[in-house]
Amino acid sequence: MVTCTGCALLCDDIEVVVENNRIKETRNACRRGAARMKGCVNRLIPSIYQKPSDIDSSIKKAAEILKNAKSPMLFGWSNSTCEAQVKGIGLARKLNAIIDDTSSFCQGILIEKVLQKKFRTCSLEDVRNRADVLIYWGSDAQDSQPRHLSRFSYFPRGETRQRGYEEDRVAIAIDVRESNTAKICKGHFYRIPLKGDREFILALIDALSGKVPSYDTKKILELAGILKKAEFGAIFAGIGLTYSIKEDLVVLLTLVDLLPNFHIMPMVGHYNMRGFNENLFRETGFVNRVKFDGNVNHEDKYSILEVLKEKRTDALLVIGGDPLSSLPGTVVKHLSAIPVICIDPCATLTSKIAVVTIPCAVSGVESDGTAVRMDGETVKLSKVMENNYLSDEKILTRLMRAI
Amino acid sequence: MLTVMELYQLLPKTNCKKCGESTCMAFAVALLSRKRKIAECTPILEENFKKQREKLEALLLPTAGAEETGMIVHTELCTGCGNCVVACPVDVANDPKGAAIGRAPSNDKVIFKVVEGKVVASNIKECRRFGKNRVLCYACIDPCPTGAIEFV
Amino acid sequence: MGMDLGKFLNSPEFEIRITTYRDIFQVEALERDRFGEEYKKLSATIMMSRNDLQKMGFKSGDRVRLTSNSGSVVVEAKENKRDEPGGIAFMVNSPWSNAIVSGETGGKGIPEFKNMTAKISLAKEEVTPLEKLMPGMRQA
Repeated sequence: MVTCTGCALLCDDIEVVVENNRIKETRNACRRGAARMKGCVNRLIPSIYQKPSDIDSSIKKAAEILKNAKSPMLFGWSNSTCEAQVKGIGLARKLNAIIDDTSSFCQGILIEKVLQKKFRTCSLEDVRNRADVLIYWGSDAQDSQPRHLSRFSYFPRGETRQRGYEEDRVAIAIDVRESNTAKICKGHFYRIPLKGDREFILALIDALSGKVPSYDTKKILELAGILKKAEFGAIFAGIGLTYSIKEDLVVLLTLVDLLPNFHIMPMVGHYNMRGFNENLFRETGFVNRVKFDGNVNHEDKYSILEVLKEKRTDALLVIGGDPLSSLPGTVVKHLSAIPVICIDPCATLTSKIAVVTIPCAVSGVESDGTAVRMDGETVKLSKVMENNYLSDEKILTRLMRAI
Repeated sequence: MLTVMELYQLLPKTNCKKCGESTCMAFAVALLSRKRKIAECTPILEENFKKQREKLEALLLPTAGAEETGMIVHTELCTGCGNCVVACPVDVANDPKGAAIGRAPSNDKVIFKVVEGKVVASNIKECRRFGKNRVLCYACIDPCPTGAIEFV
Repeated sequence: MGMDLGKFLNSPEFEIRITTYRDIFQVEALERDRFGEEYKKLSATIMMSRNDLQKMGFKSGDRVRLTSNSGSVVVEAKENKRDEPGGIAFMVNSPWSNAIVSGETGGKGIPEFKNMTAKISLAKEEVTPLEKLMPGMRQA
């Protein structure tokens, strides 16, 4: 049994058939996981200024660039093992660098609240064994964490949920779109307008406090009734919800205060984004957007987006991320003006403009380590087959030594 | 769920009998039960029915690989989420420590397994839709987000 | 609005709100080959309700140009798989959707990936190739 790094569910019941040092077949992994484990068609090769090099020269050149930079930044991390993340945080300290990960424009603000214990949360095993009311809010698990409903939330029998989903559990979707998850939630799909989450929460708060909600009264009262009766509830908060109430997370806090049996779980896509948040939090008290200068500084201006927009870095190391693909087109222009170093198993948009590329092993397939599941549980990753690629952790160790 | 009327609406509705059925409605019934193929309706192969033919083809996904029992898994639609693996009452009964609690199937008595990111059905004779005490079970169809499982 | 502009342009222009979402088939294509045709096909698409398509005179499969204050991109318009009331169109998260996302975040670092407004009109051009969406490759 091996662990899948296709998403932050880190399914640890995958079987693989290896033949001639490649995965010939996966069993139990979903479509997303199978694609992840079988790998990409264009592996990254070591290069310097777009010319093929060897791994030693690439690492040496990367070290030189980072050492000479006035304001280096290390970004990515959500597809790296915990061991690599810890090394990366050490490297950022040593370089007096800015460090940030993809949670910066994803679930960071919500995970921060969870780690600060401002929200009640629970494990996925708790959900499987006890949960009777599940709310997918701005999250489409069916497409992003495909086995979420089958492994943990809705379909499996659990210790106190022995009778199957039709009788023992209610799944609810609150979304602007009838997603694949909403389709499973059939009779309990609440369609809200874009940016309508805050108003929906306020109406629910009214209903739960015995007032008549001004908005969609009948449906809100019906939903409030289900929530009040829940023995163990879980709100699976997706970026649909997070983005929508990012200026006003306190409304969600207020709502869960009225629902003492409910737990909040931020839905995470990348397999170890939560790991980075936990590792950095343990060392600095912050989940992302940190600049070291002997002290720890945490400000929004150290977010990858603001750094690129305001041109605050003069050398960027990207590891296990593709900012050129995932950030607004206007913001990533700065990437072509500075030296970018890219560490990844595969060629990415970012690697195409990088001045140094360093290929690494696919974690969980070609290298081992640990990662943190979306609920905070630590999961072991195994090395499935022999290969010549360096793990991301080893590359960072060598970079550190060279600096 | 696909209905006879949906199919009928897309046919030429001329009752020309070229297919051998007495009416287009009868042909629609035969299409739904997969006794006939779209191409057996020769008028619909003509250019002016192109749109309707394409719609019909989209509705009647290929039945290649249909089990003798009539179950079809449209692997091109399947996301491998495993909802059917866990929801199938036969899987629950036959694998209480595996599929029933959301884990990977732990034995070969289950009907559904996910291979290469897509569901594969076996032990199909165990399915509640077949045999002497058959029931019209929807336990694998309802939990499928993409309509990848169908019985014909 | 569309009518007035229609006098001056070949095809009328409409305003549309866009939100992004995730699609497992597109993610699968991304894992396999982010430079491949399949990824492009599944990414460079805007999903619209039947009502909106009709209202704007587009057919499923038409190429459309989306223009926001931040950029412009040509993608294919398609009808939503399920009935949606309309008023909002959907794009999977990709370099094509990112071409029109604003970088303005009020200094907070989180772009409005899920809340965009753009002008939409029929396009004669081909779907924007990936290379055109990569700064640094733009001149090439």
